[in-house]
Amino acid sequence: MIIQVLVNGIILGSLYAVVALGFSLVWGVMDVINIVHGTMIVMGAYIAFLLFQTINLDPFLSIPVAAFVLFFFGFYLQRYLVNFVVRAGVFISLILTFGMDQVVINLLLVIFTGDYRSVTTSYAGSNFEIGGVVIPYVRLAIFLISILLTVALYLYTTRTKIGNAIRATALNRDAARICGVNVPRIYGITMGISAALAGACGCMYATLQTFTPFDGGYLIGKAFVICVLGGLGTVMGAIVGGIALGVAETLGATLFDPRAQEIFGFIILVLVLIFRPKGIMGTK
Amino acid sequence: MVQESKKTIIAFFLICLGLTLFPFLIGGYWLRVATGIMMFATITLALNFIAGFAGYAAFGNVVFMGIGAYTTAILMVKAGIPWWIGIVAGGLLSSLYAVLLGLPILRLRGHYFAIATLGVNEATKQFTLIYRDLTEGGMGITLPLTSLSISAFNNLVYFIMFAILLACFLTSYVVSKNRVGYALRAIRANEDAAQMSGIRTTYYKVLAWALSAFFTGLVGGLYAYWFTFIEPANVFDIMIAVKAFVMMLLGGGGTVLGPVLGAAVLELISELVWGEFLRVHMLIFGAIIVLVILFLPSGMMELFRKRYSLSALLSNLKERSI
Amino acid sequence: MLLIQGKKLSKHFGGLPAVDQVDFGVERGEILGLIGPNGAGKTTLVNVITGVFPATSGQVFFKGEDITNLSPPKAVKLGIARTFQIVQPFPGMTVRENVAIGALFGKGSHEKDIKTAFQDAERWLEFVNLGQYKNAEVNEINISHRKRMDLAKTLAMEPELLMLDEVMAGLNTKDIEEMMALVQQINRELDKTLLVIEHVMKALMGISHRVMVLHHGQKIAEEIPEKIVQDENVIKAYLGERYAKQRAKTA
Repeated sequence: MIIQVLVNGIILGSLYAVVALGFSLVWGVMDVINIVHGTMIVMGAYIAFLLFQTINLDPFLSIPVAAFVLFFFGFYLQRYLVNFVVRAGVFISLILTFGMDQVVINLLLVIFTGDYRSVTTSYAGSNFEIGGVVIPYVRLAIFLISILLTVALYLYTTRTKIGNAIRATALNRDAARICGVNVPRIYGITMGISAALAGACGCMYATLQTFTPFDGGYLIGKAFVICVLGGLGTVMGAIVGGIALGVAETLGATLFDPRAQEIFGFIILVLVLIFRPKGIMGTK
Repeated sequence: MVQESKKTIIAFFLICLGLTLFPFLIGGYWLRVATGIMMFATITLALNFIAGFAGYAAFGNVVFMGIGAYTTAILMVKAGIPWWIGIVAGGLLSSLYAVLLGLPILRLRGHYFAIATLGVNEATKQFTLIYRDLTEGGMGITLPLTSLSISAFNNLVYFIMFAILLACFLTSYVVSKNRVGYALRAIRANEDAAQMSGIRTTYYKVLAWALSAFFTGLVGGLYAYWFTFIEPANVFDIMIAVKAFVMMLLGGGGTVLGPVLGAAVLELISELVWGEFLRVHMLIFGAIIVLVILFLPSGMMELFRKRYSLSALLSNLKERSI
Repeated sequence: MLLIQGKKLSKHFGGLPAVDQVDFGVERGEILGLIGPNGAGKTTLVNVITGVFPATSGQVFFKGEDITNLSPPKAVKLGIARTFQIVQPFPGMTVRENVAIGALFGKGSHEKDIKTAFQDAERWLEFVNLGQYKNAEVNEINISHRKRMDLAKTLAMEPELLMLDEVMAGLNTKDIEEMMALVQQINRELDKTLLVIEHVMKALMGISHRVMVLHHGQKIAEEIPEKIVQDENVIKAYLGERYAKQRAKTA
C-alpha cells in the first residue's frame, strides 16, 4: 500500500533528519566535515544500551543523559583538537576527524567489544494503527522526538543569544569576533550541540536495529547525502534532505531490488553534486 | 632538464641499486613488507598528482585500485589474458574512468569534490557487488596461481612493483619540473587567477587525475595478481585512500619525495605496531594521524627544510588555532 | 582600426542589467579610459569581455573575430589580459614564480620552456621596477608592489589588449604618478592597447586618449577627456540631477 510505504519513508526520514542535523550544523558553521559524528551517534546508542542493561531505563528517557554527556564530549573535542584545524581547509580537518574517529571507535571496541547490541523494550512489538496504516510505537516515538529536536534547534538558533552568535559566526567569523563573540567558545558550543543531537539520535537508533562500534561510517554516509540533497547549514535543509532520502530509499527498496537501496543514495549524491551542488534548499 | 646536484643523482642511483639487490639479500617477511611499502608509495605518489599538486582532495581515489584489480582479474580469469597485459589494461581503464568522470566532477571544488569521489568509490563498489555475472559479486574473484616457485614469484612481484614505483616517481619528477606542474600548482594556489592567466584548468586537472588513476590502476592490477584473491571490500577499501592521504600529508603534499617518505615511515610503523599490538593497531594509527595533522600539517619535508624545535611546533599549533 | 569592439553587449544578473546594450570600441594603440560611479558595470564589462561571465546578449569582436563567450584561457591565448581590482596572486609562490605563470601560459607561450619563462619573468619585473623583490613570497610584499607584480604578470602574458581594473586603487600620490608613467610607457614603448578603469580622475584624464562613461550599466558618454568633464550626462551621473540643473542654470 503506497501510503504505508510513504509513511514508513517519512518516519525513517525524520530520524535521518536528526542524523544529519548536527552534522550539517558543524559543516555549515565552521566548514568542518566531522567524521566523528557518526560514531557519536553510536556512542549515544551505547549509552542507551548501558542504561537499559543496568537500570532498565527506557531508551527514550536516556536521551537527556546521552545528550548531556555527548555535549561535553563534543565541546572539549572542539576546543582542544578541532579548533586548531578549522582554518586549515578541507583535507586537514577531514583527516583529523577521521583519526579521532579511529581512536574513539577502537576505544568503544575495547570497552564494549564488537558484539552486536540493541535495545529492545517491552513495547517494541506493539503497533499503532490509523486508517489501515501500521506504525510501531517505537517508530512513532522516534518521529515525534525527531520533530521536537528539530524544532528545538531551530528555535535555539534563532531566538537565543548564543544561537544568534552561532549564526553570526557562521556568516563571518572575523566580523563576529569583532562584535565581541568568543569564537573558540562558540565553536565549542556548536560542536557540543551537534554532539548532543547525535547522542539523542543514537538512543533512538539503538531501538531500531543492532549496532556495533563500526556503524559510524554508514551513518556519516547518510548524513553526507542528506546535506548535499537538502543543502548545508539550514534546519529546513536537513529535514527536506532527510525525508527525501528516507522516502527515496523506502520506495527504492520496495519497488526495486532491496540490495540496490544503498547505491541509490550514492548515485543521487553524485548527480545532485554535479547538477545542483547547493542542494534543494541550500544557500551556500 | 635535470638540474639536480651530482650528489642527489648519485644518491638516487645508489638507492635504486640497493633496492634492486634487496630481494637477494633479504627474503620472506621483509620482502613482503618492502613490496607493501612500495605499493603504498606508488598509491601516495599517484594521489599526489591530483591532491598534492592540484589541491583536489580525491578521497575516493582507491576506486582506481579497485578498477585496476577487477580489470586484471576478469581479463585473466574470464579471457585467459596474460597477467602483465591485464595489469596494463587495468591502468588504462582506470585512466579512462578518470577522464570520463573527471569532466563533470572536477568542476566541483573543495569538500564537494572530495565527497563526490567518495560517492564514486562507493557506487563503483556497489556496482561490483551487484553485477555478479561479471564480477562474482561479494564472493570475489580468485586468480590463477602462478607456475613459479614461491620465492621466484615474490621476487617477480617485488620487481614489478619497483618498476611501477620508479615510473611513477620519475613521472612525478618530470611533472614537478615542467609546465604541467606549474599549472597544477597555480590551480591549487588560486584557480580563478590560474584561468585568467591562460591556464586551461579543466585540461590540466583531468590530466592530473588521469595520471593518478593510471598508476593506482597498475598497482591494483598487480595487487590482484599478487594476492590472487580480490573482493569489493578490500580493493575499494576507503582505508587505503585515507592511509595514502595521511602518508601524503606526513611526507609533504606537492613534493616529489614527500609521498615516498611518508609512505615508508607510516607503513613501517604500521607493520611494527601491527606485529606487536594487534588489538590497538587502529587506535594507534588514529592517534598518529591526529598528531601528524596537529603538529606537522606541511609534512616531514617541511620539517627537514626548516628544522623546527619542539617549542616551535607548539607555537605553530597555537598560531593556527582560531 | 578597432582592436576590440562590442556591439549591444548586455549582462543581466537575474533581473538586474549590470551591463546594458553597450556599444564600445578601442582603437589599436590607444588608451581608453573607462569611468563611472560605483556599480556602473565597469568591472562586469571587463568580466564579460574576458569570458568570466557569459554575455546575456550582444557580441564582442577582437581583431574582427567574434569572441563572445570565449573562455578566459582562450581569451588570453588570443592576446587579451587584465588585472584585478583586488589583486589575485598565487599564494605560496614567490613573486618571480607568479610572473612566470603569466609567461608560461600567456599568448604565444606554446613552445616556451621553463627557463625562458623565468627569464622573461625577471625582465618584466625589472620593467615595473620590482626586480629586487623577485624572490620574496607574495604575502610579504605591500599592496603597491603587489599591483605592480600583477601588472608584470599580465605583461608577461604578452597581450595585445591590456585591461587594467583600478590599478591605482589604494596607492599613495607618489605611487600613482609612477603607475601613470608606467602605463604610458607600456602604451608608447611596448605598443600595447589599453583599457583603463579608474576612479582616480586626475590620473585617468592625464593618460587617456578617449574616455567612456558607464552609468547603471549603460554608456552615457564617449569623448576625449576635455569634453567628458563638461558633458551634462556625466555630471548628472556623478553629482546628481540637482547639481546638473544648477550648473545649467548658472552656465
